[in-house]
Amino acid sequence: MMASRDPVAIQTRGLSKLYRRVTALSEVTVTVPEGRISALIGPNGAGKTTLLRVLSGLARPTSGEVAVLGGPPSQDPAFLASIGFLAQELPLYRRFTAEDHIGIGAHLNSRWDGPYVRQRLESLGIPLDQPVGTLSGGQRAQLALALTLAKRPRLLLLDEPVAALDPLARRQFVAHLAEAVADGGLTVVLSSHLVADLERTCDHVILLAASRVQLCGEIDTLLAAHQVLIGPSKDTTAIERDHTLVHAVRTPRQTTLLIRRNGPVADPAFEISDVGLEELVLGYMGQQAGPASAHLTMIGEGQ
Amino acid sequence: MISFRLDGRSVVPPYLQIVQQVRQALRMGVLDVGDKLPTVREVVAATAVNPNTVLKAYRDLEREGLVEPRAGLGTFVVGRPSGPPPGTHSRLARSLAQWVHSAREAGLDDESIESLLRITLRAAAEEETA
Amino acid sequence: MTWLVWRQHRTQAYFAAAAIAAFAVLLLITGRQMASQYQAALTACAASHTCGNLANTLNLGSPVVSFLVTLTVAVPCLMGVFWGGPLVAREVETGTTQFAWMQSVPRSRWLAAKVGWALLAAAAWGGAVSALVTWWSSPVNALKQQNFQPSQFDIQGIVPIGYAVFAVALGITVGALLRRTLPAMAITVAVFTLLRLVVGQDFRSHYMTAVTKTFAFLHHLPLPAGSYWQVSGGVVGPGGHISSSTLAGSGAHLSIDGLPVNLVSLPAACRNLAFQSPQKFFPCLTAHGYHGFIAYQPADRYWAFQGVETGIFVLLAAALIAVTAIVILRRDA
Repeated sequence: MMASRDPVAIQTRGLSKLYRRVTALSEVTVTVPEGRISALIGPNGAGKTTLLRVLSGLARPTSGEVAVLGGPPSQDPAFLASIGFLAQELPLYRRFTAEDHIGIGAHLNSRWDGPYVRQRLESLGIPLDQPVGTLSGGQRAQLALALTLAKRPRLLLLDEPVAALDPLARRQFVAHLAEAVADGGLTVVLSSHLVADLERTCDHVILLAASRVQLCGEIDTLLAAHQVLIGPSKDTTAIERDHTLVHAVRTPRQTTLLIRRNGPVADPAFEISDVGLEELVLGYMGQQAGPASAHLTMIGEGQ
Repeated sequence: MISFRLDGRSVVPPYLQIVQQVRQALRMGVLDVGDKLPTVREVVAATAVNPNTVLKAYRDLEREGLVEPRAGLGTFVVGRPSGPPPGTHSRLARSLAQWVHSAREAGLDDESIESLLRITLRAAAEEETA
Repeated sequence: MTWLVWRQHRTQAYFAAAAIAAFAVLLLITGRQMASQYQAALTACAASHTCGNLANTLNLGSPVVSFLVTLTVAVPCLMGVFWGGPLVAREVETGTTQFAWMQSVPRSRWLAAKVGWALLAAAAWGGAVSALVTWWSSPVNALKQQNFQPSQFDIQGIVPIGYAVFAVALGITVGALLRRTLPAMAITVAVFTLLRLVVGQDFRSHYMTAVTKTFAFLHHLPLPAGSYWQVSGGVVGPGGHISSSTLAGSGAHLSIDGLPVNLVSLPAACRNLAFQSPQKFFPCLTAHGYHGFIAYQPADRYWAFQGVETGIFVLLAAALIAVTAIVILRRDA
């Protein structure tokens, strides 16, 4: 599979971002190798948007190091041409048509594939000559994505791009994205607070909660490294000593443990299950604060 | 051409589902030697699955000798899945029926039997990779 | 970027062009009429030797058009509000800056293009309006010699260009600072008006030291030539102390040769004579060593003053643009 020696698209070390009264990011250290589709997950207010804005150069870090495609984000046209950023509000000129936007892109970008946008919109049935403000949310999201991809960036940063889309539009959007990655030379980071959708498309995950990184790595590796143990209520010190306990739910009759494995589990009283991405994320967030159920609502339903 | 259907809720990982669906298609005659598999791009467009997942599945199929990539043209079917020798299925089915009978007599219901089977399969897999 | 700026502000440009075209047509037609009206009057008065009184007897042009011309004093402010205020603020408000800045053009180039074209347009339109008004006003200027007066000074010559450039720069800067269009527009009006008043009323008279002329009462005032601008006048006593100013003060006032004089500042001996026996009032003042005076800016300083005031506003505009650049380039998007 993917070598862990792939060149790195994003590398941050101890990245912090403070506003006047609020700490948006705290000592964030993440690595995203090239060619990945990375899911940036976390509850609202965790710092996902801030992280994406710092990576794209729209915001400056307070402290720490940021390296995007080999160097710090800058205003250098070559850097700007190699990254694409799609903000949550899908910023487009409402009074301009899709064709106008294609023209703007052609004038402002050195690398631009206008025919790609037109062909994409045609296949989705999105009109080119209507003001963008009259298009539906899903159509605007597809247009914005096509425009961002038309400049052929090497890194794409997307902030909650599918939050306001219906399931079909969501599926089409993500498929469009994965296709672009399949063509090669593209790394994607997309933030979301809906985990279930992303599991099949993403192969890398960054979990942010309370402005800190809880998880960062290849999804397959992380899932293989964790297990859920279900068993009778008993003393679990031995297990906790040998492995890393992430989250525990204890009732009088039963104990459920989410552990990060350190070798095989020796205790036969426990039934071992594999973990899915959603359960893993919930487990790491559950250790953050309070009962797991609160976070279940947050992620399961999505806002 | 074959089209893949991925079940997000299955315990089987997506890449394995693709491998299994290709094997099944070959067994059923939907796919035959010389047919072209959908490109990575086509699979991704249809299922929104990660491109590396498809690559992994096709690599596994190549390793099993079922498919072969041809530069610039695509991935083509070159073999059929080898079945077990005739009579193996019926022999194993008989010993399994005996085991199920003793398990039932010991008081296990279907669910416990399935659970036991899962645990045993997992342990065996771990032994193989160890 | 030029293409984008044009595309974004195309409608505004068409509208402004139409407005100026209509204005130009109106002024060209009425201006020619006024000019020939003036020429005819000059010919007539030369024959009857009454040209000295022409300023009081001749009414040039229509009052409606004259009123419209005086309204052009508002043009710079309107430009500042509608062209300057929304330029940056609207894009920050709607988030389109996030789109523009993620194309391959650096923020500095984006800002330079938008600001550059906006200021150029301001100078061009402001200049066009002022050129039309100045040309149209030439018969009136020749007749009334009042182009140095504040109401005319502000709408003729080159200062309207300075005002326009400053107003747009102000609108842009306030918009960039506040990041919201409507408050930016409101504050631009307020600050621009205030600054124009302060500069026009308080600073302008001091660009150069005014020339002072004293005169004895009841003699014909040796008025300065041409379109001079009187900045103050009154009564000056022995030893040079000035008994009044052009601004109304408290207390009883008297008008001497058209100059307001505060009675309390005059010698007690003459005060009562002011109303009881006027013919003795002035000899009394003269006997006490009092003279009248006016302080004024000579007509030949008109263009120097235009230059200074334009320069002030252009420098202010430059300072504002520097602030905008710092804010936009250093602040998080």
